[in-house]
Amino acid sequence: MLRTVFSARLWAAVAAALVCAAPAPAQPKPDVNEATEKAMKAASAKVAPAVVKIETAGGTETIVEPKKGGPPGAPPPKGVRKGVGPTTGLVVSPDGFVVSSAFNFANKPSDIFVTVPGNPQRLVAKIVATDTTRMLTLLKVDAKGLPVPEGMPKADVEIGAWSLSLGRTLDNNADHPPSMSAGIISATNRIWGKAYQTDAKTSPVNYGGPLISIDGRVFGVIVPASSRAEGETAGVDVYDGGIGFAVPFEDVMKVLPRLKEGKDLKRGLLGITPQTADTYNVQPVIGSVQPDSAAARAGLKVGDKVLEINGKPIPNYSALQHVMGPLYEGDEISIKVLRDGKEIEIKGIKLSGTVTAYVNAFFGVLPMRDDPGPGVEVRYVYPKSPADAAGIKVGDRIMKFGGATPLPIQNRAALLAALQRAAPNAEVKVEVKRKADGKVETLTAKLVPAPEDVPEKLPLPSSAGKALEGQPKPKDPMPKDPFPKDPFGKPEECGTCAGAQDEKKGDKKDKPKVETGFVNRSDAALGREYWLYIPDNYDPNVSHGLLVWFHKAGDGGKDGEKMSKTFREFAEDHHFIIMGPKASGNDGWVPRETEAVVQDVKTVFGQYTIDRTRVIAHGQGNGGQMAFYTGFNARDVFRGVCAVGAALGNPPKDNVANQPLSFFIAAGDKDPLLKDIVEGRDLLKEKRFPVIYREMKESGKEYFDLKTFEEFLNWADSLDRI
Amino acid sequence: MRTTMFTRTLFVAAVAAVALVPGAPAADPFADTVKTANRKLVKVFGAGGFQRLNNYGTGILVSKDGHILTVASQLLDTSELVVHTYDGVRLKAQVLATEPELDVALIKIRLDGKKIDEPNGLDLDHFDFFEAAKRPPAEAGDWVLALSNTFEIALRDEPLSVQRGVVSAYAKMAGRRGVFEFPYTGDVYVVDAITNNPGAAGGALLNRKGELLGIIGREIKNTQSDTWMNYAIPITAKTDIRTRVTVKDKDGKDVEEEKVVTLTMPEFVKAAMEGKYKKFERPKPIAGAGGFHGIIFVPNVLERTPAYIEDVIPGSPAEKAGLRPDDLVSFVDGEPVISIKAFNEFIGKNTRAGTAIQLEVRRGESLQTVKLTLAAQPGKAPVVPKANPGPEKK
Repeated sequence: MLRTVFSARLWAAVAAALVCAAPAPAQPKPDVNEATEKAMKAASAKVAPAVVKIETAGGTETIVEPKKGGPPGAPPPKGVRKGVGPTTGLVVSPDGFVVSSAFNFANKPSDIFVTVPGNPQRLVAKIVATDTTRMLTLLKVDAKGLPVPEGMPKADVEIGAWSLSLGRTLDNNADHPPSMSAGIISATNRIWGKAYQTDAKTSPVNYGGPLISIDGRVFGVIVPASSRAEGETAGVDVYDGGIGFAVPFEDVMKVLPRLKEGKDLKRGLLGITPQTADTYNVQPVIGSVQPDSAAARAGLKVGDKVLEINGKPIPNYSALQHVMGPLYEGDEISIKVLRDGKEIEIKGIKLSGTVTAYVNAFFGVLPMRDDPGPGVEVRYVYPKSPADAAGIKVGDRIMKFGGATPLPIQNRAALLAALQRAAPNAEVKVEVKRKADGKVETLTAKLVPAPEDVPEKLPLPSSAGKALEGQPKPKDPMPKDPFPKDPFGKPEECGTCAGAQDEKKGDKKDKPKVETGFVNRSDAALGREYWLYIPDNYDPNVSHGLLVWFHKAGDGGKDGEKMSKTFREFAEDHHFIIMGPKASGNDGWVPRETEAVVQDVKTVFGQYTIDRTRVIAHGQGNGGQMAFYTGFNARDVFRGVCAVGAALGNPPKDNVANQPLSFFIAAGDKDPLLKDIVEGRDLLKEKRFPVIYREMKESGKEYFDLKTFEEFLNWADSLDRI
Repeated sequence: MRTTMFTRTLFVAAVAAVALVPGAPAADPFADTVKTANRKLVKVFGAGGFQRLNNYGTGILVSKDGHILTVASQLLDTSELVVHTYDGVRLKAQVLATEPELDVALIKIRLDGKKIDEPNGLDLDHFDFFEAAKRPPAEAGDWVLALSNTFEIALRDEPLSVQRGVVSAYAKMAGRRGVFEFPYTGDVYVVDAITNNPGAAGGALLNRKGELLGIIGREIKNTQSDTWMNYAIPITAKTDIRTRVTVKDKDGKDVEEEKVVTLTMPEFVKAAMEGKYKKFERPKPIAGAGGFHGIIFVPNVLERTPAYIEDVIPGSPAEKAGLRPDDLVSFVDGEPVISIKAFNEFIGKNTRAGTAIQLEVRRGESLQTVKLTLAAQPGKAPVVPKANPGPEKK
């Protein structure tokens, strides 16, 4: 009855409005904005009762401690200060559950109070759980009958629709209208399918508040977010920048029951890495499977090509990230892969929340290089290593290697690949052909994690000098991409692909003699410059390591002769080419130069026989930061990073089997950065990277002292340890 | 649910009826509004141009003689103030009055050969400031236009830059410049357009219809959120100024007394136009810890140590009010207490012996309201002989 009266009254009102709105001919044209303005305010008023004010006590001033380091050339990252004002939350359940942005609690406040509009009484709130993938925090207050706003179904959200961001920071009175910024939905399915994007202003002023439609339904909960970083503060740096994000309300309500149980939600991880760095143009092939991961338990294997996940086609690695991005720990997926020409579907793979870091296994030998095989000759046996314990001697030839049934080993790359598949504590059987008497024996060894020391002296020669032998002749004269394959990804192929490439190029007649000595290269068109030092005894049949030297800020192009003198003897004896790219600015390296440097490195790969297991990024100071950065961002190229007097800066990425990276870090004990350098080392160790760290006595920001330099050289020449 | 759908349909129908009348194409109302407003604004040039202080700004004409409202910034610290009117005419100007606690200044165009206070024969387009100040303030969600010479993009006769946004909030200012708290603490319009950039200060915030709402402020950070603020001081702004006045005591002797005076923007503008605006005598800063409460907090070891009570001094206001160890002082007079430091600052700044304060303390899972009247610091005479309880009513 009441409803009828109400409706009738409304009808009358609308009719009156229609009459008023019909313009007499002489009246001014209608104002197109008036209705929109009214609708916006009405929408805000509709949701406002569910937009709560959150106040906190205690906690820290800044959320992220300012740190030295970071990407080269970038200003040191600043800590994010937490404002002293209230923040915002949204009622999601009548019985006192409020969701907010995890940013609002990132400074670890000791006490939280919530004010619900219409009730002046502040309520004590407790954190129930945090969704660490969508950066939401669920709070509980002792209240009943709270208003839950109406959500907008995901399917109804359209790009271009008006969107309003509401917050409680600016006005202390929760009975007033919440703060508003007006914009439109800029995109959906952002941040790996987890958020809407809007150009309404979002900032600490409204993080945790709702993003609403013009009819007063909730699109989502506003959070800072970035596709390039994770954590509570990721994306805060672009506040009010016209790029804001909100987690769909539908998704929030879907996980609400799980959050209410008080368990923090984590991202669901499969535990694989792709074989190539190309995330757009190729269907992803599994490059590594992390031990103890969901992928390992499901029986996914290196080399599997991912075709579908949950029935959705996966044309590239980026698509895989989009499908996996929104998933949580405990979610189950099905995956279809192509293995040995057959499609295999694995169902019910339960995603894990953490993945154990990959640990490189170590057997304890250095192999003789450039030996087409079959088998791998032992160049050096690490004292007290599993190989030593098993009785392997220098000159022995490893013919078979593996678990219960060892497999034949063609060459060095095959042995390395076999080792990468083994767990660091696995027992392996090794068939060796003895140098002394040619006898074939099968030995047993228990692998260990990679060592943290360097051989004192390495025997020479290191190469059998047959790098160009036994390589399959290519059928195509020239592949389009000269470096399509990672030698570790396809162990059955050559270990020195560059050598093979060299030969492919060698098909051309009248191959010019390679340049040796100190060579300056420049590309005026691209504005790139680098120098090369090729030892005079260069022989294309001997694969060479490549040491890429990142100079200190301001030294660009000036230190080439000096550095090549420093490394001359080593380069000749141990077969290394030294390369010195030049930073474009006088202030040193900036991250975007990485791509150009990697291009130049690949050019060198094409011109000389390069041993891809010994490609090292080496630098000092700002150049050291660049070495870290380049090493992590071109993992298909680099196998070692050596930084002198440089802090790591960004948190390291995961250690993976198919793209191993070893570190040699040196610092002067008087270097003011010492604390940060040591911190970086510890982070790398946490990720289980092999790290050698040397602190040089009575040293500040100098280059290596003699002892450390020699250790570095031995480290560089033992990167192909097995 | 059905009703909701139904009413929504009606609402949409009504909106459509207003917006889309057949045969009457909708006008774009911003164009005329902006054209008119531009004629009432000037570009201001003054001191600056070094470090990061810009020597350009914006001003709002409020009389036909060339009275101009702008912010009270370093820009005005010169005897060679220049303004450019909308048509590119370059004129000299002079500061009539400034009031930092409203963050506003009134300047006036001065023609050569004319005294500043005699009729100058100008007939400039201007905002009717006093009429505008009578209108109720705008509210969150109102559409606004901001006009200013942001980044000095407009030269001479070029029109000012216009930005569109909505009022995010009409709320108390909580700003800081560097480490200093901002002097104006009254209500401001916070807007969602990025209006506050170099040169924008002194520009006009207008509603959709071109009516003057406020004066665009400077580049300052909001202490509440630690973000850069985009705000305008409302033309209806009001501030409480603590001043020092000399009065006769009962024996007829002159004594100084502290007094709180409420000043509004229209009052300031009127007095300044009439040449009658006098700066208030500020009281000397009083050293002291405010009134005595008798709370002993836990050791203040963190940046934001929560204000947990460790003990209360026997016989103190805190004990009398029933405060207990382990209580967490969460709010004082409604203001959140994020740390012991914040509480001490509040007490030092806002209280004396005799001031009554209201605390909300967290005890267990609930908040308790506790009232206490502060006493004199033990062993010290009250610092100010006579406390004034609040703003003088006008």
